[in-house]
Amino acid sequence: MIEFIDLPGIYGFSSLTIEERIARNYILSGEPDVLLVLVDSINPERTMYLAIQALELTPRVILVFTKSDLTHVYGIHINYEALESKLHIPVIPVSAATGEGIDLLLDKIIEVVEKGKGRKEPLIIDYKELNPFIDSIANILSKYIDGFKYPVRWAAVRLLEGDRELEDYVLKHMSREVLEKITSIREEAQSIFKRDPAEIASIRRFEYIKSLMDKVVAKTKVEELKGAVLSKYFYHPVIGPIASFSILAVIFLLAFIINTGFPLNTLFEALGYEELAGLVEEYSLSGLMDQLFTGISNYLYEVMGESILTHLVVDGIIGGVGAILVFLPLIMIVSFSLALLEDSGLAPRIAVGMHNLLTRIGVSGHAVFPLTLSLGCNVPAIIATRATPSYRERLRLIMTLPFIPCQARLVVILAFATALRHYSGGLLILYGYLVAFLVFALINKLLYEIDRRRGETVSPEILLEIPPLHKPLPRVVWWLTWSSTKHFLLKAGSIIFLASILIWFMTSYSPTLTYVEDPSKSIAAYLAETLSPVLAPIGLPREKAWIPAYTLIMGFIAKEIVISSLLIATGADNIKEAVEIAGLNDPQIAGLTVFTILYVPCLATLAVIYSELRSWKYTLLAIAMMMFIGYIAMLITYYIGILF
Amino acid sequence: MNNKVTLDMLPSGRRAKIVSIVGGRGLTYRLYQMGFTPGAIVEVVSNYGYGPIIVRVMGVETAIGRGVARKILVEPL
Repeated sequence: MIEFIDLPGIYGFSSLTIEERIARNYILSGEPDVLLVLVDSINPERTMYLAIQALELTPRVILVFTKSDLTHVYGIHINYEALESKLHIPVIPVSAATGEGIDLLLDKIIEVVEKGKGRKEPLIIDYKELNPFIDSIANILSKYIDGFKYPVRWAAVRLLEGDRELEDYVLKHMSREVLEKITSIREEAQSIFKRDPAEIASIRRFEYIKSLMDKVVAKTKVEELKGAVLSKYFYHPVIGPIASFSILAVIFLLAFIINTGFPLNTLFEALGYEELAGLVEEYSLSGLMDQLFTGISNYLYEVMGESILTHLVVDGIIGGVGAILVFLPLIMIVSFSLALLEDSGLAPRIAVGMHNLLTRIGVSGHAVFPLTLSLGCNVPAIIATRATPSYRERLRLIMTLPFIPCQARLVVILAFATALRHYSGGLLILYGYLVAFLVFALINKLLYEIDRRRGETVSPEILLEIPPLHKPLPRVVWWLTWSSTKHFLLKAGSIIFLASILIWFMTSYSPTLTYVEDPSKSIAAYLAETLSPVLAPIGLPREKAWIPAYTLIMGFIAKEIVISSLLIATGADNIKEAVEIAGLNDPQIAGLTVFTILYVPCLATLAVIYSELRSWKYTLLAIAMMMFIGYIAMLITYYIGILF
Repeated sequence: MNNKVTLDMLPSGRRAKIVSIVGGRGLTYRLYQMGFTPGAIVEVVSNYGYGPIIVRVMGVETAIGRGVARKILVEPL
């Protein structure tokens, strides 16, 4: 059996980024039998840089030249056999589009692993003027060879270039004296050549690649492909943002309509086609899923009869699993659209197009995709910030992305919109999104200014490779779609599942732990009553406030629960009725809607904020900030509401 | 002819040789890895005098923010 491990996409093996450290430590762990390094056939010189560095690290490498079907279009001819005999490792051209070369690659993997074919020693590059310095560092290191997990010459080169992780290793496993010796060698090289050794090393590596590739690659001049002309528009300071924004807007409108019917249903309603609007809503994905789960629940009640177990299964587990599954198609649609953009090469162009606009709120063009993903679900969005090069910028994004309403919150906004008595629901929806984006922009700007004053950040910059435009490959698009969907299922799924059981418990048991039918006597209701004075400023006296307080406590776990818990607590069949029973007026509904949009999106998002930042401080800070801003925005909304 | 300028000052279509990069260690190293080494030839694909500039190095197009481009010293060819 051959097991493949996908390592993060990197440019080299320095220890600058977490991805680079993960990749090199995994390679050195001895776990992989062979390392496949992908080289882009269209730009072999540039991408060989990683391959060469991999070969310095380990001899057990197979070079895989990708997109081999495209080389003739670009007028590139590569002599793979010649390269193979120069480097003494297997070199295999493959094409994901045609499947060419894949069988051969599998054969070669087995040959290298089982018959021990290929190189025996890592590649040694001639670093010319740096060689004596590399040798003296290697000399020092060789005295500590016992238990040293890195190849000595490689480590010597890396230390000469300045490598934090290796320096820490030397300090910990050798001594401060050894580290000082190594540092002084680096400083000596620096002062003799008047250049950073890292710069010289990079130049020598590219020289080596050039001398290697000059003999194996032949290029004929071909005319620029038509995509290139079109793609230049994205770089234009005016057309770029407009084109980028339009593409994203169209994708999201389509995804929204398929998922919830919004905004098509609101449009039909506004035009007077109420029936058509109802149909759009009913046949939207979330409408259909909802019907399916109601069907299953009713069926289970009939088969199993009324009992605590049935309640647990139906309300707790089916309700919870249903909540995940309702969002699954949407997450897939959004992921699919973004995968199309990514694989076609449009994504980085959109990031460039939106860069200028985004720098005004202190983030770079890299933020475009987390931001758009957020409209679907905050969980994959926060994971997607990993591509942001600046740590402080990433931190600010992670803290503020939850302000962007996801689909779960859209469902709540839509439901509250139907409950307004005097105002049009469309207005509330528009207002909700406006407030959310405004808060996102303002807080980002604010955090950016704070960071800047403290000198902890520089202006947001973009540094992004732009691949040629091409037709997306269905298989690749599917891989990308599935990988972000899987993230959502694993992260959100496990938490929502546990949370559903917790909610069921909190709403079905009294503080004295006896089973209660009436949710107003449950633990949750008891908690809600204690917290209800918080809602007094929006004109809700204690006896009225417990119901909204209760739904907001539930919403802490996951936003879609706000609606169901409001229905349960009031015993109503629909939101309009529930709101009447709860005695809420329009300004109060609007205030609660805004609070729902802005305060903690769900437990899954909090979990992913923590797992990405590994910091309780920032996680708690994020919660406090969201609660505070949500509360303020609720008060403002309420007072605007009673003015009109 | 051999006037050194920063990369952000080159107009679209212009080619230049990289002389040096003056920046933080992380940024500089990342640029080296992406092929922006002293001696490498860059071609400006688009520079509107505002926003990121697009350059081609070793056949690969890269978008570079102006702040980063200002740290790359080049010699126009």
